[in-house]
Amino acid sequence: MRAVSPSEVTRADDQAVREELERTWADRPGFIGWLSTTDHKRIGLRYMITAFTFFLLGGLNAGLMRLQLSRPENDFLGPDAYNQIFTVHGTTMMFLFAVPMMHAIGLYFVPLMVGARNVAYPRMNAFGYWVYLIGCLLLYAGLFTNTGPDAGWFSYVPLAGPEYSPGKRSDVWAQTITFTEIAGLIAAVEIIVTVFKHRAPGMSLNRIPLFVWAMLVMSFMTIYAMPWIASASLFLASDRLIGTHFFNPAEGGDALLWQHLFWFFGHPEVYIIFIPATGLVSQLVSAFTRREVFGYTAMVLANISQGFLAFGLWVHHMFTTTVPQLGSSFFTATSAMIAIPAGIQIFCWIATIWLGVPRFRVAFLFVLGFVIVFVTGGLSGVMIASVPFDTQVHDTYFIVAHFHYVLLGSLFPFFGALYYWFPKLTGRMLSERLGKWHFALFFIGVNVTFFPMHFLGFAGMPRRVYTYIAETGWGDLNLVASAGAVVIVSSVGVLLVNVLRSLGSGAPAPDDPWEAESLEWATASPPPSYAFVHIPVVEGRSALWDRSAQRPVVTGLRTNVRDTLVTTLVDAIPDSRHYDPRPTTKPLLAAIGIGVTFIALMFTPWGLPVGSVVVLIGMIAWAWPDRRSYAEQVAYEGHA
Amino acid sequence: MSTVTDPGYTTDLDVGALPTTVFGPRDIMWWGTLGFMTIEGMTLVVCVATYFYLWRQPGTWPPGHTLLPSVFWPTVHVAFMLATNLVMMRVSRLAHRLDLAGLRRWLVIASLCSVVMLPLRWQDFLALNVRWDTNAYGSIAWMTVGLHGSLLVMNTLETSVFTVLLHRRPTERHFTDASDAAMYWYYMTWIWVPLYVMLYWSPRVL
Repeated sequence: MRAVSPSEVTRADDQAVREELERTWADRPGFIGWLSTTDHKRIGLRYMITAFTFFLLGGLNAGLMRLQLSRPENDFLGPDAYNQIFTVHGTTMMFLFAVPMMHAIGLYFVPLMVGARNVAYPRMNAFGYWVYLIGCLLLYAGLFTNTGPDAGWFSYVPLAGPEYSPGKRSDVWAQTITFTEIAGLIAAVEIIVTVFKHRAPGMSLNRIPLFVWAMLVMSFMTIYAMPWIASASLFLASDRLIGTHFFNPAEGGDALLWQHLFWFFGHPEVYIIFIPATGLVSQLVSAFTRREVFGYTAMVLANISQGFLAFGLWVHHMFTTTVPQLGSSFFTATSAMIAIPAGIQIFCWIATIWLGVPRFRVAFLFVLGFVIVFVTGGLSGVMIASVPFDTQVHDTYFIVAHFHYVLLGSLFPFFGALYYWFPKLTGRMLSERLGKWHFALFFIGVNVTFFPMHFLGFAGMPRRVYTYIAETGWGDLNLVASAGAVVIVSSVGVLLVNVLRSLGSGAPAPDDPWEAESLEWATASPPPSYAFVHIPVVEGRSALWDRSAQRPVVTGLRTNVRDTLVTTLVDAIPDSRHYDPRPTTKPLLAAIGIGVTFIALMFTPWGLPVGSVVVLIGMIAWAWPDRRSYAEQVAYEGHA
Repeated sequence: MSTVTDPGYTTDLDVGALPTTVFGPRDIMWWGTLGFMTIEGMTLVVCVATYFYLWRQPGTWPPGHTLLPSVFWPTVHVAFMLATNLVMMRVSRLAHRLDLAGLRRWLVIASLCSVVMLPLRWQDFLALNVRWDTNAYGSIAWMTVGLHGSLLVMNTLETSVFTVLLHRRPTERHFTDASDAAMYWYYMTWIWVPLYVMLYWSPRVL
């Protein structure tokens, strides 16, 4: 199980091969190269930076809210501004940060971890990123022009409907959702196909790294969950724009329909964030205990069962509506049941740590923090699975405390993964000393901010109120929570300092600084455009630890065109080769076309026909190969 | 996972002789097509769920004074749609035979079929006998016909562009694409059958 030396497989002709691969896979230089790239690593990194930027903005919103609530009858923010800020905060954290960040990490690392040169459908990957960016910009353009959505991140009707939300605020929300869901669905399909068809030979399904399994489950969940919110937001937008009556009880519609549609997506959404986080934890636990994760099969089955169970929980968000009692009982049972696979995971990680040789590096500290914070959130989750209890605390700060423990619990592995993969992303190490400060402040900040909220909930403080009177007695705990928020902000500040210092003068990172097991560590830090000089052949579940002295690789792939290997679904046996098209700005142009269409639809139904023409032009441009690409593909096929 | 076998590679694998034109699940575009079919299918599942959810609201279905949908043109359309699958079966066979000339001819026919579906789809809207803004029944009926209609429109554009491309800049890759196009076509036409039954027959018989 000990790591074999991580350096690249050496072949006599390496240098010449490297140079030709670089010519073939590198982007065009300059700004056009930046716009036209289809390299999953550049796009993945861009996704991560964008998502993290919006995490900071979402955090800024949270800071403003905590400032407002820090004392009774504060007048720092008025109710209207507060409504916009809490709505944009939630929308940002869920739709612009958490899910896209997980997709971003997947889009960057899944191809490397399965030994592929690029993600499946690289042009779609670029398109997805640009559409996502348009969604991000739309939401904040709305906020900065006093058109920020203000009906909560779940945009309940009738509040968000045409009668109670005139103006364009709810439309900004609906179209932001449309853009981010398009991007999320594209990312999901790419990840699934990359995992299914672009794995290195020998990486049979029972050898996929656990993070890749988690991304696979998450991507399937995305495909089955996100169409619900995409359709629901379309229904909402059409109620508002063309006078349909989906949610209008006066004409046969139903407001609760929105809640069903939203939460049928919304609950799986939580697991769409959580499941990749468990995959990250598995990678970190394995790397920092120097052993394979205990119970690989159980861990995979736990993720899959969470994926299924997550679709059977949505009504527990609606216990205080008119749900039949039998229905409530069913959803209580399923809600409690999901603790079983989560428990299996926790015990498998504990067993791995117990049996391994833990190294308490910063990334590993974040894993330990995750276990504590997430289990706390999980326990309050089991509490609110009970209908009588939930009825009491529904819409109070107890719920705010619960879901922040769960979601910020999932943020711990993300920060751990940042310390773990930063060397691979940048070729620089992060400072362990600053990292420990970051971890300590974040762990303390999260608990000081959110633990008191349980008691505020018990004391009856409702969610989404911009202020409260002193006689409620909620002032002290709110002040404590706000002080905790300051600690969280300072922890993120330490992280930023750490990142900036490291980029400037951090210690150079070797290829595999942690002596970890998976294939992304078998290439340079940062990886070259072509990822691997020779695609490795996988000989065991821990690709690097199980390598034989021969270290077999794939040969015969062409180096002067973007030649990729396609393998079989189950056993990853080499089956065919696929020509990867050259980089192009066409995905950007198509994304702009889609952006214009959906933004125009906020104002007029004529956006649809006009936008369709734009999309048609974009489709033709996308499908039509330029002369060089055409000649290259014909030559490629001729050589096959 | 019990079917997984360990090939036990110990030497370098030369993949230079592997084919570049393969069909079905061996090809990555087939999986992408399947992925997007699933996504589109889910949006239609949401429509079905919404349709029956709204049906169980108090009152009659369709709501009072709303006419029942007509069935003549929708039935003509669904029959035509299913018949066009014969064209696409031919397209698929020609693609597997790498018969470029035949594929070019039959894709022109397929493009014409897809164009004919567009006015028939407009008839599907009219046959609902209700406007989208009359009541929730009208809203979900129009939305379902419209969402499936967007597949028809996109399919028409894609087939037409693909046909022109095949005449102007053909590659071997296009044989695989044609085979995938046929798969998508079967899906697009057959998925309309339960929706057609739901929209035009269920208010009459249930």
